[in-house]
Amino acid sequence: MASKTDKEIVISICAGTGGVAAGGNKVIEAFQQALDENELTAKYKARTHKVGCRGFCAKDVLVDAAIDGEQWTYQFVTPDKAKAIVEKHIVGGEPVSKWLVKEDYHAFHSKQQKLVLANCGQIDPESIEEYIAFGGYEAARDALGIDPDEIIGTITESGLRGRGGGGFPTGIKWGSCRRAGGDIKYVLCNADEGDPGAFMDRSIIEGNPHSVIEGMIIGAHAIGSSQGFVYIRAEYPLAVDRLRLALDQARERNFLGKNVFSTNFNFEIKVVLGAGAFVCGESTALMTSIEDRAGEPRPKYVHTTDRGVWGKPSNLNNVETWANVPLIIKNGAKWYNGIGSDISKGTKIFSLVGKINNTGLVEVPMGIPLRDVIYEIGGGIPKKRKFKAVQTGGPSGGCIPASHLDMPLDYEHLYEAGSMMGSGGMIVLDEDTCMVDMARYFLEFCRDEGCGQCTPCREGIFHMVRLLTEITEGKGTPEHISILEELSPMIEDASLCGLGKSAPNPVLSTLRYFRDEYEAHIIDKRCPAGVCKALTTFTIDEAACNGCTVCARNCPVAAITGEKKEPHHIHQDRCIKCRICYEGCKFGAIMKG
Amino acid sequence: MATMINLTINGKKVQASEGMTVIEAAKNAGIFIPSLCYHEAFEPEGTCRLCIVEVSGPIRNSVRVSCIQEVKEGLVVETETERIKKHRTLILELLLGRSPYSKELLDLAARCGVVTSRFLTGEQDDCVRCGRCVRVCRDRIGAYALCWANRGYERKVTTDFERLSEYCIGCGSCAQVCPTGAIKMEDRGVERKIYTWGQVVARFKLERCKQCDKPFAPKKYLDWVRERAYKPMGLKLVDIICPECVRKAERPAPVESPLTGAPFQAW
Repeated sequence: MASKTDKEIVISICAGTGGVAAGGNKVIEAFQQALDENELTAKYKARTHKVGCRGFCAKDVLVDAAIDGEQWTYQFVTPDKAKAIVEKHIVGGEPVSKWLVKEDYHAFHSKQQKLVLANCGQIDPESIEEYIAFGGYEAARDALGIDPDEIIGTITESGLRGRGGGGFPTGIKWGSCRRAGGDIKYVLCNADEGDPGAFMDRSIIEGNPHSVIEGMIIGAHAIGSSQGFVYIRAEYPLAVDRLRLALDQARERNFLGKNVFSTNFNFEIKVVLGAGAFVCGESTALMTSIEDRAGEPRPKYVHTTDRGVWGKPSNLNNVETWANVPLIIKNGAKWYNGIGSDISKGTKIFSLVGKINNTGLVEVPMGIPLRDVIYEIGGGIPKKRKFKAVQTGGPSGGCIPASHLDMPLDYEHLYEAGSMMGSGGMIVLDEDTCMVDMARYFLEFCRDEGCGQCTPCREGIFHMVRLLTEITEGKGTPEHISILEELSPMIEDASLCGLGKSAPNPVLSTLRYFRDEYEAHIIDKRCPAGVCKALTTFTIDEAACNGCTVCARNCPVAAITGEKKEPHHIHQDRCIKCRICYEGCKFGAIMKG
Repeated sequence: MATMINLTINGKKVQASEGMTVIEAAKNAGIFIPSLCYHEAFEPEGTCRLCIVEVSGPIRNSVRVSCIQEVKEGLVVETETERIKKHRTLILELLLGRSPYSKELLDLAARCGVVTSRFLTGEQDDCVRCGRCVRVCRDRIGAYALCWANRGYERKVTTDFERLSEYCIGCGSCAQVCPTGAIKMEDRGVERKIYTWGQVVARFKLERCKQCDKPFAPKKYLDWVRERAYKPMGLKLVDIICPECVRKAERPAPVESPLTGAPFQAW
């Protein structure tokens, strides 16, 4: 017994948003209870350990069981399984192989390169000690002894570019903010991540909030600022709590406040909660919101690095950009410069969602082929359906078709393909996605989220949505496409802010790659993907139907009739085109067209 | 003398003083740039986007709004390129789609060669969301009676909680600066009403002129003026006289301001 007292047992449980949603907190309790019941906590150094997002959210709750450094990973853990794992594996010494992660877990990680997310999922986000144990705040401590211009030089040389979507070189931005006149300057962190299907920034803050704070300390020193703001959505309660806790911990250790690291540098960070407006992710709107005014963009031909919050020079960077900074300071510009493609350096985090097997948070080196992300990391499309396109850059990005699958993922190539990096949302679409309907959806989002100040965006997008809706309803004419093509460049040129300027992108890119689908809607009055209700009819292929009655039982409006083991029939007058029969038929007997 | 800046607008050499915007420089040079939200009396907001121009020279060739863009040495401005004309036509068509009966808007559109709109929505709202009324009330008068509500297409000018405004002083500046006649002020008998499309902003009882006995201004407005114009100078407003009577009357002799000692001409 005495020989076993130093045996170390650490159970790391995912407590990111995905983990918590899948019941992570209950799993932590269950493990703790099981460890206590088996008297492991008393006998050995056994403990449960809460960590941030592990990336592979589709398999949550993910649990790492480490015994004396040897590690097993379990997937889909529930409180019941937790109890069994402790009894069979920890006590019994036999890992429960059927619950261990499978091939796809390893495939998911094989092509990834985790730099920013390296500690996310390893350390307890609520413990500053763990961050420090992994080398945290060393970069900030060292940076405070380096000349600001040298730091800016390092960041410029590293090739780091804005991860919020614009891709502006971070070092150059810092430099112009440093050179701007005035004593008071601000550093800002944009955590107002509002794109549908995006969760990169929240995962960083939830999994490793100190990395963002450390980046901001370095940035503030380089720029010459003593006040920082983190503008974060109120809809991210977990991220807000962990960020506030991290700030308190940093203040306690004098990493923030007066005379940081016993130097004469003072720096404080304030958290500002956004009130749920997508447009507040736009830099000038974010700044007016920080000023306690309505979050509306301001027309600017002056850079915010010269005149930003309260008219003072302000340097705004995205969460991911800030989290990259300590890594560059610690490992040097050359190291960072060696990662990525020719002009886009480093890694990029994407939230891989939509019609994809391995949904999750992935970090890949810039320039990785899109195919690797979709098929190797993402594990391809579910139900053996065909890949159609991937929408990147959120609602104002564009879609990239299958013909561009071998395109390298970096700022330039995405832009050339008619899309953009955006903050890193990646929505995969399969053959059952109607591109007209998708464009309509994203434009509707921009219509509802725009501030309404300027005419092109307010009135223009309203009419673009109207035209697209008419096309999906089968009321489209060739003139609809020509008006859409007329409105788009005007909205891009004449809108006040980035939201309006990029809003027509989904339409332009779908018109570029999927014009035939628009034409099918307008000329043939047919929705090739079978999504637009007015243009789709579902019928049963009598040869393929074996009369299993599943469709008839599932139909919510009783539109399907037929005898057992006899081909069924859909009554078109009653059918509401909900697709339940189509999705549920195991024999592929339901045809859409 | 302020530094003069040389720029070119539509091929014409123009001089403007530093800090001027392109639309001001163009106006001084007799070049017309259509606009709705721009007004000399207050800060430009650059929201109607009608005053877009193409700029080049010291800055990258791009489309910018001339009410925000400041003049720059060597700036080349084009107000009537194909690109600008196309965009402007569309913006006017979009505005007409919602406000097809505003005479002022129809006139402006006609001046830019736009007579029909492909974007009729069936709405008959004269307001073009230029925000002049909100800005004059907030930035010039300081009453804060009008404000914006909603966002996107639903954005509209209204009063707090869409009720009769407690802050409105009945000065009528909003109606005065409205480019499309969407806000109106009406004096009927002893009542003044300020109203927009379907919403009454405020109602007031009018005070009578001490000379001609005609009702002419709400008490709140007169108090507001007294508080801000007369009181700081230590003067007392003795008689309330309507503008018409003031114009007819003989100018009184200047009085000495008790505060500054300087002579003050009452009107």
